[in-house]
Amino acid sequence: MAKAFEEEIVGDEKAAPKKGSKRIHLVVVTPEKAVLDALVDFVAVPLFDGEAGFLPGRSPLIGRLGYGELRTRSADQLERYFVDGGFVQVRDNAVTILTPRAIPAREIDVNAAMESQKALEASRPTSLFEAGERDKGMARARGMIRMASKR
Amino acid sequence: MAKARAIIKRRKAVENIRKITRTMELIATNRFKKALNRAVEAEAYTRKIAELVAELGKASHETQHPLLVERPRVERSLLLVLTSNRGLAGGYNANVLRAATNRIQDDGTAGIGTDLEVAGKRGITYFRFRKLTPQTTYTHFEDKPQYADIEVLADRYIKLFLTGSIDRLDVAYTEFVSSSRQVAVVRTLLPVTSLEVAVRARGTPAAATPGTKVSLREPVPYEFAPDAASILEELVPVSFKVRLFKCFLDAAVSEQIARMVAMGGATKNADDLAKSLTRQYNRARQSQITRELADIVGATAALD
Repeated sequence: MAKAFEEEIVGDEKAAPKKGSKRIHLVVVTPEKAVLDALVDFVAVPLFDGEAGFLPGRSPLIGRLGYGELRTRSADQLERYFVDGGFVQVRDNAVTILTPRAIPAREIDVNAAMESQKALEASRPTSLFEAGERDKGMARARGMIRMASKR
Repeated sequence: MAKARAIIKRRKAVENIRKITRTMELIATNRFKKALNRAVEAEAYTRKIAELVAELGKASHETQHPLLVERPRVERSLLLVLTSNRGLAGGYNANVLRAATNRIQDDGTAGIGTDLEVAGKRGITYFRFRKLTPQTTYTHFEDKPQYADIEVLADRYIKLFLTGSIDRLDVAYTEFVSSSRQVAVVRTLLPVTSLEVAVRARGTPAAATPGTKVSLREPVPYEFAPDAASILEELVPVSFKVRLFKCFLDAAVSEQIARMVAMGGATKNADDLAKSLTRQYNRARQSQITRELADIVGATAALD
């Protein structure tokens, strides 16, 4: 699925858009509330198979998210959130992220993530369903730990 | 003076009760507003999911997911009953429990074994009294159900369903139709019958306007990562979780409304009672004065 990355690769993050150009309307919603509703210059989301960056003017896209880092940049303000899977929709310069949880980077509980990773490593799944759940849990824990270590 | 004093005592008691019910009404009103706000905020997610389902539905028509498959023979079902932890909420709990009991009886006659799970102390004591032992009970869902807690529950139900331990999942709860109408219902959440997530206008203009805007948007060619069918598949469990969460939110809102109405009624009753007691007291006092006066007049007449 390299198609998703052709237009904006993550490296473009450094290329600041010109002043006065259009910005992205980013909305992050969880089942409980809208976490974020802001105008930003750049968004990087963790798609299911790797990171994708969006700049203003991105063509419409619907994608599945993995477990990882959501990065936003407006002017020189960089913000980081951990997103716990979900979906992303891009259209008309609006990026909507639907996720069960969006945790600001500094609120990640690394110890809990480490523990759950250990517990999952020790577990022995007996069915296909359990194996799938284990993989999901591992990916989630790994994503959290990776993000926390970047601090 | 004995009778008049007894009436005063009763009136004082009634006034104290009035104070309590009035306070409870105010608290319930406050909680209701908070619960409704939560429900409205949660609606944004539901609406977006519905929009995604609609967009993806255009691109892919066949969705296959084990959660969508209806079992030809239902042998075991699970019934989750949502009641409140606290009473004094009018018919709120009674209505839900009646609906739940009816479903259990219907299942019994159809030869379906029903596992029972109950949230809320009121329901737990009721089923204990009926000698129906719930499999699992929950008391930690207060008036602010957290999505994380419900997700745990939902994951367990998905697992039970996929492993074949249950063939159907029903939830008995009070549905919030509008601020003046709440209905106790039993809904089947698993298997997921359709992906369409019900989006209702909550009676608030804020919730209603964006909903209509969504349907008016013109279609655009989307790029899908991965393909539309597999995103839809991933949406199936999400839509189930959202529905379950919605049940809890609805129940929380309805509980507060029921309590508000019940306590409002109790306050009004106490008002009426205090008024009639005041009248009785006045009458008793007046008749006593008249009697004493008559005595005095009688005594002076005898002296003359």
